[in-house]
Amino acid sequence: MATRVIAMGQAAAGDDGVGFAVLDRLRHDGVAADVELVRADEDAALVDLLRTRQAVVIVDAVLGVPTGRVVDLQPDDLAAQGLTPVSTHGLGVVQAIALAHAVAADEITPTIRIVGITIERPDRYAQVLSPAVAAAVAPAAARVRALCAG
Amino acid sequence: MSGERRTIKVDYLARVEGEGGLLVKVRDGRVVETRLDIFEPPRFFEAFLRGRAFTEAPDITARICGICPVAYQMSAVQALEAGLGIAIDPQVRALRRLLYCGEWIESHVLHVTMLHAPDFLGYPDAVRMAADHRDAVLRGLAVKKAGNAIVALLGGREIHPVNVRVGGFYRTPTPAELVPLAEQLRAARDQAYEMVRWVAGFEFPDFERDYEFVALVHPDEYPLAEGRIVSSRGLDAPARDYDRHFVEEHVPHSNALQARLRERGAYLCGPLARYALNAERLSPLARAAAREAGLGDVCRNPFRSIVVRAVEVLWACDEALRVIEAYEPPARPAAPVEPRAASCYGATEAPRGLLYHYYRLDADGVVLDAKIVPPTSQNQRMVEEDLAAFVGPRLTLPNDRLTAQCEQAVRNYDPCISCATHFLTVKVEEA
Repeated sequence: MATRVIAMGQAAAGDDGVGFAVLDRLRHDGVAADVELVRADEDAALVDLLRTRQAVVIVDAVLGVPTGRVVDLQPDDLAAQGLTPVSTHGLGVVQAIALAHAVAADEITPTIRIVGITIERPDRYAQVLSPAVAAAVAPAAARVRALCAG
Repeated sequence: MSGERRTIKVDYLARVEGEGGLLVKVRDGRVVETRLDIFEPPRFFEAFLRGRAFTEAPDITARICGICPVAYQMSAVQALEAGLGIAIDPQVRALRRLLYCGEWIESHVLHVTMLHAPDFLGYPDAVRMAADHRDAVLRGLAVKKAGNAIVALLGGREIHPVNVRVGGFYRTPTPAELVPLAEQLRAARDQAYEMVRWVAGFEFPDFERDYEFVALVHPDEYPLAEGRIVSSRGLDAPARDYDRHFVEEHVPHSNALQARLRERGAYLCGPLARYALNAERLSPLARAAAREAGLGDVCRNPFRSIVVRAVEVLWACDEALRVIEAYEPPARPAAPVEPRAASCYGATEAPRGLLYHYYRLDADGVVLDAKIVPPTSQNQRMVEEDLAAFVGPRLTLPNDRLTAQCEQAVRNYDPCISCATHFLTVKVEEA
């Protein structure tokens, strides 16, 4: 099934930029023709990006320990697993997904999967990933690729 | 009732950018303390700027906030260009104005529709509100998208734009690239007018304050990226004199600094202040919408700031269209820039209010010192004073309603706690 991969995060907050690093890896290595790679720097933009008939895979950092773990989630799993999406914006990822359901239930993607990479709460400006999180980029990209392949 | 104590404590303020808490203490029917706690971890941006090339400042400061990166870029380039004596092309200036309009639209619409409207309509959040007010939410998203499109085209990206440089832009658009933007903005302008009507119909608590308003004032334009710092009580100063008139102080309960006017204390910046000092410089359409919404030339009810924000969205759509219609590509995207030792001062109007930047450069253009005063830290003292005045007459309300109204009151200011870049320096004394 055609898939839209949406990377989210804050590249200037160190490990919070891991979603973009995964996207860069996928772009560098190449993806199937029916896979679209998209970057969303802001959670509210998700509402529109979810309005597609493609399957959607969101790649984002989540707060959790140990860091550098790749977790494969559905939106409802986040709270259940004690993982918090990192949101430095006015609307969180979970809220944006819920909002998309609320305003455009008939138009949004039939499938949303989240590939999360656990990080600690970012607290300063940094443009590099910590070693543990950087090591998770390749496995996270592989997980995204597997989800895209169905 | 003697000795009765009541404490309203909100450990986590939802729908506020960053993390903050709120404390109101009441004793014997009297408010004895209000505190807006800010406990976002320090971000050290000012320290990070020291030792970096001045050309990096627009990109570094844009990272301070995911909501208003353009504001940081604009204050940075305005300060550096003023200090280095760089004259920018009039069309570059116009494009920057267009870019700033995009950010105002994005930021204000997010706040009006998603973060503040639920308070007035009795919903815990925008998701629950959307079930009953789907059209209003979709309209908000559509208008916001027009703002995103401006920032994406001119900034290079929707968030954390990378196209702005000292002296101009790295690349300027062709007129043809602006055509689809204009079409989108015309639709957004109509929707923004509807948004003004929508929020004007909300119920507002009867609450007015005798503010000293502080905003930029430009002789010909509603203020965005230039102007003098003016107050409703007589202050009229260039950005370079900011430190002569304003001071930032440590307060024990917050790790952010609070600003005050040296002579008179707390003041208010942001939409209400801009509007009070510049209403006559709005476009005719925005003025008409403001009148229709029942705003006089001055609005002192902070709960009505949501109406002023909506009027500013309409104005920003109008202004963006004006810039696009008059656009001719500049001869070059950026003026040449030569480093030299300089003190650089700048102030622009971020969506939340006045944003002051100062840089001191050495002869090679290396930043020796930097100071960034965001609107949230300027308004923090006023937020606390407003809360004290607001809570006093409402002490008969049950705790849950009073707490909800206090949270709503904080959101009047759209505080962006991530932007409160001035944090206490922790001094460690060694024995």
